Amino acid sequence: MYSDSGADGGSLFGGGGFIPTQSTGLNDNSFSPGGATKKGGSQSSGLIPLTVKQLSSATQKPSDDNFYVDGHEVNNITLVGMVFNKEEKATDVSFMLDDFTGKIEVKKWIDGQVSEELVELRNIRNGIYVRIYGHLRSFQGKRNVVAFSVRPIKEFDEVTFHFIEAIYVHAFNLKRQGGIVGSTTPASTGVSYGAPPASTMTPNQSVNMRSNISNQYMAPASMPVGSNSVNECQKRVHALFDEPANLAIEQGLHVDEVARRMTGFTKQQVKDAIEFLVNEGFIYSTIDDDHYKSTNG
Amino acid sequence: MDVITSNPALLANAEKFRPYVGRRVRTVVKVNRFEGGNLHCQAPDGPHIVVRQVPRNEEFTQFVEVIGVVEGDTALRAEICTNFGDRFDLEQFSKLCDMANGSYRDIFMLRRRGQDFLASNK
Repeated sequence: MYSDSGADGGSLFGGGGFIPTQSTGLNDNSFSPGGATKKGGSQSSGLIPLTVKQLSSATQKPSDDNFYVDGHEVNNITLVGMVFNKEEKATDVSFMLDDFTGKIEVKKWIDGQVSEELVELRNIRNGIYVRIYGHLRSFQGKRNVVAFSVRPIKEFDEVTFHFIEAIYVHAFNLKRQGGIVGSTTPASTGVSYGAPPASTMTPNQSVNMRSNISNQYMAPASMPVGSNSVNECQKRVHALFDEPANLAIEQGLHVDEVARRMTGFTKQQVKDAIEFLVNEGFIYSTIDDDHYKSTNG
Repeated sequence: MDVITSNPALLANAEKFRPYVGRRVRTVVKVNRFEGGNLHCQAPDGPHIVVRQVPRNEEFTQFVEVIGVVEGDTALRAEICTNFGDRFDLEQFSKLCDMANGSYRDIFMLRRRGQDFLASNK
């Protein structure tokens, strides 16, 4: 299913997190062998908090229509700013969003139905603060944002938060650029569990990077894949299921068999690891609740 | 140009007023009183400041965001005032101002050649 998602589908809804590629590396590799061979340009880049100033300096490669900020592809973005020059038409609502680093045109298409969303959009007035989620694009040489959602801000700490978050992601991406040059090559992007890609990185750096992501960033963003919770036991149980010999067994492995082969871990730990891997879609139960097999098989 | 960055308002607490005299800034204040079109208030980093020519007369909440031009160390001429409600973390906002004028200023403002007045604050 994941491998079916094309470039656009994948980039629209694939990530769900804020940090490009890292957040989906786990998925890409484990769900679809094709994930790792995706072109660099179609890597899902998640949802990125930005300032309008950053959008103005986003670069585009002549070869594709994608935008890049801090060297990372930008598709879906979130902005916080004030509404000006709002115009309502039958088919869309558009306005200039000014976050006081710059202004950009935002357009929200209306599907014609009188919905809650439409009522909400009508209540957006000039001079109020909104948060938008949208897609950055270039139309007739002009950059604008097609919004999926425009919501008024009610707690104004969110304004502070947005800019702090934008700073965080910016700093994160710059640090990552400096730290893992070369990991953006297609072959090494989809590495499971953030294990060191075949690049210049040392394992130690990898550990730091991973803990940085999980503790400070991904966990609060409630990532669908709890990459931070992949512990040693889970990793080894998964590796066991992925062994060719075990992939070949039709009914998969029995829990007791797994526990027997996982020296150094209690049966309960192994069971927990199996439950985790099932929940994350890495393995599935076969003939009964005691037999499991890798989804890579 | 499609994206307009020509008239930004720089995030600033009172500490940044001096180097920003004559420039458009953005800050959040805690209102003490509103008198004769002026807002007497507290800047995010503590000092008392006066916001002049406040463009509207309706009731202000405890916290107000002010976009305006710096007139001096403790004075702003208001352009836009937005009610920010009665609950707002000024201290956090003040830290944001520090960051936005420090190492991360690139994501907030264009570098202006020959006008790198920020160097002293780095």
